[in-house]
Amino acid sequence: MAKKQHYKHNNGAMYLMLSPYLLLLFFFGILPAIMGVLEIPKPSMANANGGWDAFKIVIHDFRFGPALRHVLGFMGIFVPLMIFFVIGMALMLDIKHSPWKKWLRMAYIVPASISGAVAVLVWYVILQPTLSPIKGVLRYFHITESSQIWQQQNLVYILAIMAFFAAAGNWILIQYGSLQSISTEVLEAARVDGASVWQTAIRIKLPLISKYIVYMSVLVFAGGLQIFVEPQLLNGGIYQGIADSWSFDQLSYNLAFMQGDFGGASALSILLLIPSLLGALLVIFKTDMFEGAQGHIKKKDVEIVGI
Amino acid sequence: MKRKYSVMAVATAVVVGGAMVAPIAAQAAIPSITIWVDAPRLPGAKLYATVMTGKVNVKVELHGQADLLAKVQLFNRVKKGWPDVVFGPPNDVAVLKNPLINNALNLDKLLTPAEVANFGHGNDWCKSATGTYCVKNDLAQTVLWYDTTLFKQFGYTVPTTMDEWAALGADIAKNHPGYSLGAVGDQGFYASYLWPSQCPLNQEKSATRVVINTASPKCTRVAKLLQPLVDSGVLDTRSYFDAGYVKDVGQAGKIVANIGPSWWGEFVLRPAGSFAIPAGHIATAPMPKWAGESVAYSGEWGGGIYTVSPHSKFPRQALDFAIFMVGDKRNLVTVKNPDGSFGAPTFPAYTPGNALWKAKVSSDKYYASNPFPAMLTQSSKIFPGEKPVRYDSNGAWGAAFAPEITKSKNLQKAIDAYGAYVSNLAQQLGYEVTKS
Repeated sequence: MAKKQHYKHNNGAMYLMLSPYLLLLFFFGILPAIMGVLEIPKPSMANANGGWDAFKIVIHDFRFGPALRHVLGFMGIFVPLMIFFVIGMALMLDIKHSPWKKWLRMAYIVPASISGAVAVLVWYVILQPTLSPIKGVLRYFHITESSQIWQQQNLVYILAIMAFFAAAGNWILIQYGSLQSISTEVLEAARVDGASVWQTAIRIKLPLISKYIVYMSVLVFAGGLQIFVEPQLLNGGIYQGIADSWSFDQLSYNLAFMQGDFGGASALSILLLIPSLLGALLVIFKTDMFEGAQGHIKKKDVEIVGI
Repeated sequence: MKRKYSVMAVATAVVVGGAMVAPIAAQAAIPSITIWVDAPRLPGAKLYATVMTGKVNVKVELHGQADLLAKVQLFNRVKKGWPDVVFGPPNDVAVLKNPLINNALNLDKLLTPAEVANFGHGNDWCKSATGTYCVKNDLAQTVLWYDTTLFKQFGYTVPTTMDEWAALGADIAKNHPGYSLGAVGDQGFYASYLWPSQCPLNQEKSATRVVINTASPKCTRVAKLLQPLVDSGVLDTRSYFDAGYVKDVGQAGKIVANIGPSWWGEFVLRPAGSFAIPAGHIATAPMPKWAGESVAYSGEWGGGIYTVSPHSKFPRQALDFAIFMVGDKRNLVTVKNPDGSFGAPTFPAYTPGNALWKAKVSSDKYYASNPFPAMLTQSSKIFPGEKPVRYDSNGAWGAAFAPEITKSKNLQKAIDAYGAYVSNLAQQLGYEVTKS
């Protein structure tokens, strides 16, 4: 009896702690989504008679196809690069204890402190042949003029590099943290059984942190799909028009604020919500990500704790 | 004691309150307007606010030219917040007068006959079949800008036809490599070549039809004549405002001549932060004529407009601000700009204002010869076929033309890319696109 009351008390505290999140979720997540859906059928210059044709109109927009190509191309580079590089670096960082490790960890976090907006400026300078600190490297590849770099077909690579350096450091540390959660007994047992470092990494560690990897993949995917700041800044600030409506989010922004087509912009935003939502549902229901802090706790244990 | 203090507090509050109430009552009789301007118009607008002290309460806000449409649509949502009068890029009038946006007042009833006469043809851009929806701040007609020192040094004469212009380019490529006749990687190419050649790109015929035809001989002749100059580098494929072009060509004093708008001298050639061409070099000449044409037309690059909001409570006072900016000596000649220069940098579209500006520019020792006569000649020769359109026809030079010219360095391909892009935009916004 006393125990039950103890849990009840915990629940109250839980809701209290949850309430700021729930409020923000409602006002900045659910409510805008509802308003967005209600906005779609209203008439606009592009959809003069109004109605749910807005979805059709936005999919047939002449910029939709290119935006899809750009974003898929960008994600085709960015997402695998992130996952392989981050996991590889985290596993290597986890191999041995050494006094260098904390410096290494700091080295990973430094590039991550450069946010997307600043990264645009940094990479502009690095890639601009007249300003670049790596002039020699650029010259080796016969790049002497900025027009060789800032072309539309190069943007997927440039933006993938920008996004990769801005995001990789943080994820390396997070995955390093997830590797730390593996119980030392398991690793000890592997070592006693004669597993090499490579085998331990691939056969033991990777399966144990797989749910964190899925979690990261979903977040990286959703983030990549919604790329906006980098191309928008390039377009407005550095090369006028080079990345106009380059990504879906930019197209949505242009529809709303340059063409006054709020309905079309909402339709596109709702379309973009679907893959991200599916990703989130995948994490919640198909992995045991949110079923306990430790991967090896069984479901039954979790239920007991939750009562 | 305590009670005494509170009585005093009440008494003080009454006095203070009374003092506050009196000016509010007086102010209610004074109209209030909110003005939006961009940075070059800011000194004049601020001056206007002080000039009108006691007569009109003027609130001046600084906004980028591209801000307006996004903001107006948000104001339309919340049904408040519209500025009374706005300076904006010329194409805005087509978007703003659209019933869905509805933020450009028909000024026909507001403009006095004298004002209409003073604008003359200078305000044609703002007129449509249904009324006058804006007033022009300035004309941005293109003229031929040239460096008299370089012309003398190289032994050149000022070209009067486009064929002579191309021949000049060929000679520079052969005998003076590294020198330039300007850049083609931005909207300047449209204003300087395509528009004067009457290439049909944004020729709105009605609210539902626009002519876009890059295969027209009026377009292809531009590409044919100038492609060799692009190939030899005499016409640079970068933008005039590209940091590399500014440094390597503009500031290096390597522009022999270029076709540019009337604000080119005051805004691009002269300022220390821009091309910084020294005094005594620059002169203007009328536009070169295309073969077979009877008129040497100009295009326009810019030429801003003032629109008055239909939601304004004081539309006449709002319009008065625009008239001040285009017609008053204090803005056109005497106001001090942040860079140390004086007066408006652009060619006023309003006859009395234009006379004031003429006096200022004509006596300016910066120019090798008076630049005004060529501007005046061209001011009545802006080809009238190109019109304000509801899509972003100017932004499309960056979005479609510039990337293609950077990639292929082929003028016709880049013109076609622009045509395809604006055709798509136009159809999306309810225009039928036709070839003639």
